[in-house]
Amino acid sequence: MSKGFASNYRIVVLAVGIFLCFGGVGVRLLFLHVIDRDQLVRYIDKARRQVTEDKARRGDILDARGNVLATSHTLVVVGADPLVLRKEDESKWPELASLLDMPLAELKKNLEAKTRPTKAEDDTSDEVQDIRWVKLSEDVTEKTYEKITALGVKGVYGERTYRRAYPHNQLAAHVIGYVNKEGSPAAGIENYADFYLRGQDGWRESEKDGRQREMAQFRTREVPATDGYSVVLSIDSAIQHIVEREMDAIAKKFLPVKATIIVSDPKTGFILALANYPTFNLNEFNKADMASQRNIAVADMYEPGSTFKIVASSGALNEGLVSPESPRFDCSIDKIDYKGKTRGLPREDHHFTTPLNTAEIISHSSNRGAAQLAMLLGEDRFFGYARAFGFGQLTGFPVGGEIDGQMAAPAKWDGLTITRMPMGQSVAATPIQMHMAMGVIASGGLLMRPQVIREVRDAKGERVYRFDGVARSRAITERTAETMAFLLSRVTLTGGTGVEAAIPNFQVAGKTGTTQKLVPVIDSRGRSVLRYSDRDHVASFVGFFPASRPQIAISVIVDGADAHAPNGIAYGGAVAAPSFKRIGEQLIQYLDIKPVMEINRSLLVMGGAKL
Amino acid sequence: MNKTDHHAFVSQLLVYALVMISFTGSIGLGTVWLRNQIAQTANSIKVLETRTAEAERHLAETTTLIAAEQSPDILIRRNDEWHLGLIAPDFRTQIVRINENPVDRLVAKSRRDVFASGAKVRLVKFVMGDSQ
Repeated sequence: MSKGFASNYRIVVLAVGIFLCFGGVGVRLLFLHVIDRDQLVRYIDKARRQVTEDKARRGDILDARGNVLATSHTLVVVGADPLVLRKEDESKWPELASLLDMPLAELKKNLEAKTRPTKAEDDTSDEVQDIRWVKLSEDVTEKTYEKITALGVKGVYGERTYRRAYPHNQLAAHVIGYVNKEGSPAAGIENYADFYLRGQDGWRESEKDGRQREMAQFRTREVPATDGYSVVLSIDSAIQHIVEREMDAIAKKFLPVKATIIVSDPKTGFILALANYPTFNLNEFNKADMASQRNIAVADMYEPGSTFKIVASSGALNEGLVSPESPRFDCSIDKIDYKGKTRGLPREDHHFTTPLNTAEIISHSSNRGAAQLAMLLGEDRFFGYARAFGFGQLTGFPVGGEIDGQMAAPAKWDGLTITRMPMGQSVAATPIQMHMAMGVIASGGLLMRPQVIREVRDAKGERVYRFDGVARSRAITERTAETMAFLLSRVTLTGGTGVEAAIPNFQVAGKTGTTQKLVPVIDSRGRSVLRYSDRDHVASFVGFFPASRPQIAISVIVDGADAHAPNGIAYGGAVAAPSFKRIGEQLIQYLDIKPVMEINRSLLVMGGAKL
Repeated sequence: MNKTDHHAFVSQLLVYALVMISFTGSIGLGTVWLRNQIAQTANSIKVLETRTAEAERHLAETTTLIAAEQSPDILIRRNDEWHLGLIAPDFRTQIVRINENPVDRLVAKSRRDVFASGAKVRLVKFVMGDSQ
């Protein structure tokens, strides 16, 4: 056995030293991990633990062709800590002001104020507190922020925030709605489809170092954010643009109080465009007044006037009480006996010397004829048809704060209601109700639900759900609807009230409406009462084409255009019908709607003939 | 126990202690190295996440800009600014609709042109068995 390489003394000292060191470490570990554990863990948790929120990206709103109508992007809120600013950076302030799009004087004022009073303004004490954050701009783009960072001004820094952007500004503003600056969906699809759009925020538990930076290696639990779904609308931005351009033209020409245009596919009930006047820019919603933000198409009601005549005529045809050609009704009389009492008939705009059949009542828009058709039906059946066409009840349009209009039950009618309601008085409807009622005829007798959401897609663009057309009920038979479509197509022929809406070879069917508005007047006793005005009208044209195979339904409703209308009266045929035609002509091209009648000329052209 | 045995025992103990220290130290160093690697990997992942988020931010901003440029108002303005002269065709005069197969019609028209009087006719000689 070797003697060993160390002396006893050295070995003992070394061994004791080593064991003491180990012992010391062991004791320290015992204190750290066992005895003081709870206290230390609490301290560590408090000092180092952090839970970081991972914001989910809000889904996009797309139009029917995939164009982005609303999207989320980050903007940077740029601010400064005036106490950290350096003197040598002051030469960079002009460039900083330019990048922030802010006057240099204003920037200087913000940056040079180092303190603010602690107390309220009325307090006279001199106490002040340091300003550690002053906001300079809250909508700086990433590119601009990169340039600001590159300037290297110490104490100027930014915080990223998700903001909603509406690339098309005012396009379909009343349908899309907006998310306010607090991030809450305030109106429109943004609010209605928030469940799909908002996504699910994630979170991450980790630790931070002394400089508040996350130590990624200490991440313990992590729930990733789930981005929101995208919502695809049935709105087509090209059609919406056509409609809004027409609305601009109406606004410039007639200076109306308000107006609305609705375009839909009558077979499915999907809305292709919906525009209101006045409107607003979605990116500047905070500057828009409440009147501009109002979705007139669903939240305002008006007396539909002659467009409502489709109810009495459809009902009478559907019940087999009349045919288009017979019987004939005397529309020159101003009184009629009904249920043993003499009822006064409404005024006519035209004097009819010969009796009119149902087809002529519709094409000439006879008030007395419509009243007599309703009398044939009787109060209850007429009311039933009005309900079946969707009046007096919500259509189910998802956005805009829809109202259900006003239509009293027959029990509450006075003696004149059966003569006035068929011509669209004593009843109030929203533009969307009137539009969908006309859609009953275009869809073959079905009352469709107006819908605006076509699809829901996940963050990868895969379809999650697709909505189809929903029929609420059947109002009239398919045969009656076809007959009515044929009769309404005669409204736009020579002699009809809607000639201005006619598009040659495309069989435009529709109905004009010129509604007198109820305005307050002072009667002989000095009381304020509502009377029908001869100078305030709502002009409308509601129709569809081609009549034999309807593809598009359009409603144009203009309120208060009298001052700038021909002869000072805003007739539906003069104010609204031309707009219907202009929109229809553009949709023919855009949607490739084929004419109903054959164009023989085309065959000659293809044959090489010279025209 | 004699002195030699005692020395041998102590030496052996010392060797074992040193081996144990080396072993423990190695484990400690290994653990530190491992933790450092974990930290480095976690930091690289964090950097990648930051870069991905940055790329996504730029993508969202670009998407917004493209969407704005594609809006009908802007397109119409660009058409005017750049004098492109793009207009929609007039469906009454410029769009001709046909109810039959246009190919057949065009073929027939072409044949008529070929056989029309005054058309140049080129004679072609076919030779049996000639592959050219």
